[in-house]
Amino acid sequence: MTMLSSVLVLSCDIEDGRDLNGPSTVSISSDLSRGELQEAVGGILADMRGRLGTQVDGQSIAGREYWRFQSSDPRWTADLLTGTLDDNAFYTTAPYASRYATIKDINLVLEGLTNSTEDFSDEEKAGIRGFVNTIKAHELLMVLNQQFQNGIRVDVADKDNLGPFLSYDDSLTAIFDLLTDAVTDLGNGGDDFAFRLPSGFSGIEGASGIADDPENDEVSPADFATFNNALTARVEVYRGNLASAETLLDNSFMDLAGDLNTGVYMTFSLNGADIANPLFFAKNSTGGNARIAHPSFLTDAEANDTRLSKIVFREAPNSSDVVVPNPLTQSNLTGTHDVFVYTSNTAPVGVIRNEELILLYAEANHISDPVAAVAAIDIIRTAAGLPAYATLGLGTTPAELVTEILKQRRYSLYAEGGHRWIDLRRFNRLSDLEPLDRDGDGTFEQFPTPANENRQ
Amino acid sequence: MKKQTHFSKMKILLLLIFAPAMLLAQETITGKVLVEETGAGAPFVNIIENGTDNGTASDIDGNFSITVGQLPVRLKVFALGFGTKFVDVETAGNITVQISESSEALEEVVVTGLATSVKRSNAANAVASISSEDLAGLTPPQTLDGALAGKFAGALITKSSGAPGGGISVKLRGVTSVNGNSQPLYIVDGVYVNNNSISAAGLNSVSGAATGGNASNQDNPSNRIADINPDDIESVEVLKGASAAAIYGARAAAGVIIITTKRGKKGETKVSFSQDVGFNTIINFRGQRNYTEQKVFDFFFSPNPSDPVAEQQSRDAANAQVAAFASARDSGSLVDYEEEIFGEEGFISNTSVNISGGSDNTQYYAAFSNNEEDGIVKNTGYDRKSIRLNINHSFLDDKAKLSLSSNYIDSKSDRGFFNNDNTGTTIGVALTSTLPWADLAANELGVYPDNPFGASNPLQTRDLVTNREDVNRFIVGGTLDVQLYENEKSNLKLVLGGGVDYYELITTAIFPKILQFQKPSNGGLNGVAAIGTTENKDANYSAFLVHNYTNSNDLNFRTQAGLTKQTFSRNTIGNIASDLIAFETNLDQGANVSVSQFRLEQEDFGFFVQEELNFQDKVIGTLGLRGDKSSNNGDANEIFYYPKASAAVNLHQFDFWKVPVLNQFKVRAAYGEAGNFAPGGALFTTYTSSLIDGIAGIVVPVFPLALGNPDISPEKQKELEVGFDASFLDSRINLEFSYYNKNVDDLILQANVEPSTGFTTEFSNAGDLQNRGIEIGVNASVFENDNFNWSTGVLFFTNTSEVTRLDVDPFNLGGFGTGLGTFRIEEGKSVTQIVGNDINGNLVVLGNAEPDFQMTFTNSIRYKDFDLSFLWHWKQGGDNVNLTNLLTDFGGTSADYDEISEDPAGVTPNGPFRVGAFFGGNATPFVEDASYLRLREVGLYYTLPTKFLDQVFKGNVSNFKVGFSGNNLINIFDYNSYDPEVSNFGGNGLSTGVEVTPFPSAKRYLFHVAVDF
Repeated sequence: MTMLSSVLVLSCDIEDGRDLNGPSTVSISSDLSRGELQEAVGGILADMRGRLGTQVDGQSIAGREYWRFQSSDPRWTADLLTGTLDDNAFYTTAPYASRYATIKDINLVLEGLTNSTEDFSDEEKAGIRGFVNTIKAHELLMVLNQQFQNGIRVDVADKDNLGPFLSYDDSLTAIFDLLTDAVTDLGNGGDDFAFRLPSGFSGIEGASGIADDPENDEVSPADFATFNNALTARVEVYRGNLASAETLLDNSFMDLAGDLNTGVYMTFSLNGADIANPLFFAKNSTGGNARIAHPSFLTDAEANDTRLSKIVFREAPNSSDVVVPNPLTQSNLTGTHDVFVYTSNTAPVGVIRNEELILLYAEANHISDPVAAVAAIDIIRTAAGLPAYATLGLGTTPAELVTEILKQRRYSLYAEGGHRWIDLRRFNRLSDLEPLDRDGDGTFEQFPTPANENRQ
Repeated sequence: MKKQTHFSKMKILLLLIFAPAMLLAQETITGKVLVEETGAGAPFVNIIENGTDNGTASDIDGNFSITVGQLPVRLKVFALGFGTKFVDVETAGNITVQISESSEALEEVVVTGLATSVKRSNAANAVASISSEDLAGLTPPQTLDGALAGKFAGALITKSSGAPGGGISVKLRGVTSVNGNSQPLYIVDGVYVNNNSISAAGLNSVSGAATGGNASNQDNPSNRIADINPDDIESVEVLKGASAAAIYGARAAAGVIIITTKRGKKGETKVSFSQDVGFNTIINFRGQRNYTEQKVFDFFFSPNPSDPVAEQQSRDAANAQVAAFASARDSGSLVDYEEEIFGEEGFISNTSVNISGGSDNTQYYAAFSNNEEDGIVKNTGYDRKSIRLNINHSFLDDKAKLSLSSNYIDSKSDRGFFNNDNTGTTIGVALTSTLPWADLAANELGVYPDNPFGASNPLQTRDLVTNREDVNRFIVGGTLDVQLYENEKSNLKLVLGGGVDYYELITTAIFPKILQFQKPSNGGLNGVAAIGTTENKDANYSAFLVHNYTNSNDLNFRTQAGLTKQTFSRNTIGNIASDLIAFETNLDQGANVSVSQFRLEQEDFGFFVQEELNFQDKVIGTLGLRGDKSSNNGDANEIFYYPKASAAVNLHQFDFWKVPVLNQFKVRAAYGEAGNFAPGGALFTTYTSSLIDGIAGIVVPVFPLALGNPDISPEKQKELEVGFDASFLDSRINLEFSYYNKNVDDLILQANVEPSTGFTTEFSNAGDLQNRGIEIGVNASVFENDNFNWSTGVLFFTNTSEVTRLDVDPFNLGGFGTGLGTFRIEEGKSVTQIVGNDINGNLVVLGNAEPDFQMTFTNSIRYKDFDLSFLWHWKQGGDNVNLTNLLTDFGGTSADYDEISEDPAGVTPNGPFRVGAFFGGNATPFVEDASYLRLREVGLYYTLPTKFLDQVFKGNVSNFKVGFSGNNLINIFDYNSYDPEVSNFGGNGLSTGVEVTPFPSAKRYLFHVAVDF
C-alpha cells in the first residue's frame, strides 16, 4: 500500500508556485525589454525618495538646522543631539539601506541592459547607461555624505561578492569617475532617452542649449548632462578641485541671472503607490511629530533676510480665542518656530538647484577670483533682500569668503538636505555649532557604518 | 435517597440469609443499564467484574446478565460516550444501573492516524483533551483559543489585545519558528480551518506604525479561529508537537488542534436553550499621576541659562500650564482620561439554542448562537452569529456512515484604534501625553477641540473612527466511512473526507476629515476611508483505507494508507481613499485612491501510511510515514518525508503486575517529524510597485520584504517525547508525566544581510532550534459521594529553548532596537531572550519571554445541586518589553512618575529615571517581569431539583440551571501596566510581550440560565 500511495503521489504533479504579487527581479536583470525599462526607470526615481525624511532630518539635526520632535520616538532628541549614535537604529540604517536599494534597482537595469534582447540602439543604450549611472552616483554621494571617513562600498553589483569599503577620498574619486563616464555616455546618447522622465526634471529641459531634433519638450541626454555636471561640480567642490568645479558649473544648468529655484526635483503626490513629501508637517504641529527651527537660525540671521520665511512663528488661539504664542517643548528643548520649507505634502524636494550652483560657483572662485566669488554671493544676498557683501565691511580673504559662503549656504539651503552639517565638516568647523543646547549634547562627524555591514 | 435507605436496611437481612451460599456458589447478576438523562435502555455497555477480565455487554435494550465468582462484587460499567460507573453488588438478582452521558468520556480515544483513533490508555503521546465542559462549562469564553488558556499543559497562550473578538497567540511547547508560522494548525471536524490575521487596509496610512523602528504594521487584527463558536465544541484535542502530529506532515510543526463539534444522539429530541448576560470591565487602570503646581511647572519648564529670552518664554509657558492646572483642579474639572476611555462596562449577551436528536440511522444537531460583547472602550465590540447543522447518517446495514458538518458564521468586530504609531494618532499613544486639565469633550454642537497635548484628541478618535472587521464564513465538511469487507479476524474500511473553509473578510477603516489629525491645517489627509476585502478559500480532501487484522494470539494489526490534498487561496484587495469629499466615505469620494492586492495560491499533496500493532492492550506500537509536496517549495514536486514511531506499554496489563494501589501504569515513547513551510513569497525576490509623477515603476523590496531564496526548504521538527501515565486507587488519582525534546532543523530565518547589497534581509535555512520541557498533570477525585463531590487537578509545565546552530550573524528582531529591548537570535542562547544595552552601553541579556514555568489549579466542587468550579493560572517568569511607561513618562502622565523605585541609587524618581535611561541608551528599565497569578475562570451553578421541575413544568423541562461566572476576576501581578498578557505585534513569531499602549484587557462577570426541554 505504501508503494501504491507513493506512486499515486508521484504521478500527481503540482505546478511550481510563483509569486502572484509582483514581477521577479530576475525578469529585469535577465533581459530588459523596452516596456520594463520605463518601469525600471520610474522605480529608480521613485526609490530615490525612500526614507528621504529620515536622511534629511538626521543630517539637519546634526547641523543644528532644526530639531525633530516625535513623541513616539524620542531618539531624535537623544542620540542625534548627544552624538552617541547607534549603528543599528533607524536613523543609521534606513537611509543607508534605502540608497543602496536604489543602487540595486540601477544595477539590475545595467545587468538587464547587457543581457537585453530588445532592439535598443547604441545611442539608446548609452543614454540609459548615462542616465542611471548619474543617479547611481548621486545615491552613492548621499550615502557617503552620512558615512564620511568610514568610507563606503561603491561596487555592489554582486550581492555575494561585494566590493571593498573605499576611503572617503577614494569614494569621492569613484563617484567622480562614475559621473564622468556617465556624461560621456550621455554625449553619445542621441537626442532622446528611450524612456520618459517625470516632471521633476522639466526645469532642465533645454538647459544644454542644444536644440532637440525634432524639437520637443522632453529632457534630452544633453540637457540631462547639465544636471550630471552640476552633481559633478558638487563632488569637485567637496574634493577641493575648485578649477575643475568651475568648468563643470559652466557646463551645468547654472544660470547666474536665472531663477534660483531652477533645478531637478523629486516630486510627490498622494496617488496610489506614490508617496507624500516626508519633509512636510503642518504649522503648529504637536509634539507627536514636529520640525522645530533651531533658535540660532533666527538669532544668527542678518536683519531683513527674506529666507527667514522658511520658518514660521508658532501661534494659536487660546481658550478665549486670543492668538498667543505656541512654543513647543520636548526633551528640555523649546522652540518658537516651525520649519516650513515645504508648504504642502506634495511640494517637491530639490535634488540640486540653481541657488546651490551659484554658491558652488562662489566657492569655486573664492581663492582664484574673489571678485567673481563676491559677485555670486551678492546674487544670493540680493535675492534674500540683503545689501551687497561689500557693505558689511568684511574682507575678501579666502577665510572671510568661506565664512560668508557658509553662512549663505546655511540660509539658502536651509532644511533641504543637511548641507550645513556637511559644509561645516568640510572646513573642520563643526565647533561653530557650539554652544550646544543642553549639557551632555555633542556633535558628530559621521553616522556609524550600519551594524549589519561586515567590514572585514 | 429513600430508596437507598431501603436497600441498606435490606442488605443486612440478605447478608444474614445468604452469606453461607455466597461463599461457595457462582452468582448471577442480571439487570438493566439505563441512560440517566433519558431513562432509555443503554445498549452495548460493558459490564465487567472489576479487576478481572470477566465481563459482558448489555443487549440492544440495555439488559445484561453476568456471572461472578462470589459476592459482594464491584462491577465496572462503562461505554464510550458515558461516564464510567462502579457498582457494588452484594446480592445476586436484578439491579438497575444508571449511566450518564459524559463529555469527558471522549477522552477515551485520541487521534493517532488520519483515519483512526486509539484508546487513550493505549496512546503513546500525552495528547491533551479538553471537553466541552472544561472548555466552556465554567464560564462562556469569548473565543475558542482564549478558552484553551490554562486548560492543558505545554502551551503559552497570549491575548494580544483586550479588544473583544480575538487576537490570540497559541504556542505549543515553546517557539517553533522564528520567521515562519508558529501557530498551530486547526482542524474542525476534518476541515483545515484558516487562522489568518489580516490587517485592515488603511490603518497604517494613518498610524505610520511601520515607518519607524519596526516595520511590522502593529495593527493587531483578530485571528480567524475566533469565528468558531466555543459552544458548538464537543471536544478539543491538542497534538503539541511532531511526535504526535507527524501524521499531519508539512504543516504540523507548530502542533495541531483537532476540534470535534457536537453531534446528535439517537433518541428523543432534545432542545437546549441558554442565555448569558453580563458585563466586562478593565482589569487594571495604570492610574493617574498626582499633580501639583510644582510638578506641572517642572515638567514644562526647561532652564536655559545661556539664553534668558528663551528661558523666560519657557517659564511663561510653564506658568500658563500651572495656571490651567490649578484652575481646573479648583473647579473640579480635572479629567481622568484613562477612565474616560477605558472605564466603560461592556455589555455581554450570549444566546444559544440547539436542537438534537435522531433515529436509529440518522442523527442531527442544529444550533444557533448569538454572542454580543461590547468592549471597555465605547464603539468597540464583538458580535458573532453562528449557525451549525451536523448530520450523521448510517446506511447499508450500518456498514456505511456519513457525517456532515456545516457552519455559517457572521462575525463583526469593532476594534478601536490602539497600539504603537508614529503619528500620535492612536488612542493609546494620544493618552500618554494628554494631561487631565486638557479640555477635550465635544461641545453642544458636537465639535471636539484639538488636543493641545497631542496630535489627536482621544475622545474624538474614539467617537468618530471606525475600525471594523466583518466576516462571512462557511465551513463545510463531510466524512464517509464504509466497511468494505468484514470477517471474524479482519476488516477493511474506506474513509473519504473533505471540507471547505471559505470566508470573506471586509475591513473598514474610516477616519473622518473632522478628526484633529485629519485636518489639512494639522497636516492631515482630509479624511481617509479604507476598505479591504479578503476572499479566502481553503479546501482539503483525503481518502484512506484502514485494514484491521487480529491473529489468534490477540495481536492486532491495523494498517492504514491514504492520500491527502489541500489547496489554499487568498486574495486581499485593499483600497485607501484620502482627501474625502464632504462627509462621504465611499471609495470613489476621495481625491486620492490607492489600491493594493495580495494573492496567495498553494497546493499541497501528501500520502500517509501507518502500521499499528496492539498486543492485548499490553504493548502498542506504531510506525508511520507521511510524505508531502507543495507548490510552496522551491521544487514543487520534491517530496519531504515525515516519519514517526511510537510505543506504549501498559505494565498493569501484564500478569506480573501486582501493585494494587497502582491500577494503571503505562510507559510510553514517541518520536515524530513534522514540517513548517516557508512564509509566502520567501522563494522569490519580488519587485514592489512605485509611482512618481504618474509614472509607474518597480523597486526592489526593502524591509519587511526580503531577498527571496528559491532553494529554501521547509523547517523540519523532530520531536521525541517520553513519559508515563499512572493511576492510583482505582483511578481516583491520575498522574501524567512527559518529557520532550524537539529540534527544529533548517530553521527559516529572515536574517540580516549587508544593506549595501540593496536588501536588508534574506530568507535562508540558517539555524537549528531546540525546545525541551516537562509536563506534569495530576488530577484526583478527592471526595465522591452522592451529596458532595470534589475533584481537583494541577498542571505544571516548563520549556526551555536554545538556538543550537546559527549560520548567520546574530540578529535582532521583534522589538524597537537595543536601546529599548529587543529579541535576539544568537547561537547557544534561548530563542526568546530579550537583550538590550545596559547602563554602560554593553549589550546584555535583560530577560526572556519564556516563562520559568506555568501551573494551573482546577477545582470542581459539587454539593447537592450546587456546582462550584474554578481555574487558577500561575505564570512564573517570562518578561515583557514595556514601552507604555516610557511614553507616559515622556508625556509626564505616568502614575508612578514621582515615585522612587526604579533607580538603584534611590535618588531619581521613576519618570525622569526611565527617560534618562532612554537617553542614555539603557534598556534595563523597559524589560519587566510579566509573571501573573490569575483566577482565569470561576463558575457557580445551581441545578434545580428534578422534583421541583416536574411539579412546575409538568415534565416539559428536564434540566434547569442558573449560575454566575467570571473571567480574570482576580489578577495578581507586579507588572507595571494594564496586564502582563499583551502583544503589540500580534500573535505570530517571537514578538509577543512587547507592549505599546494597547487596548487593555478586561474581566467579565456573567449570569446564566440554561434550560433543557
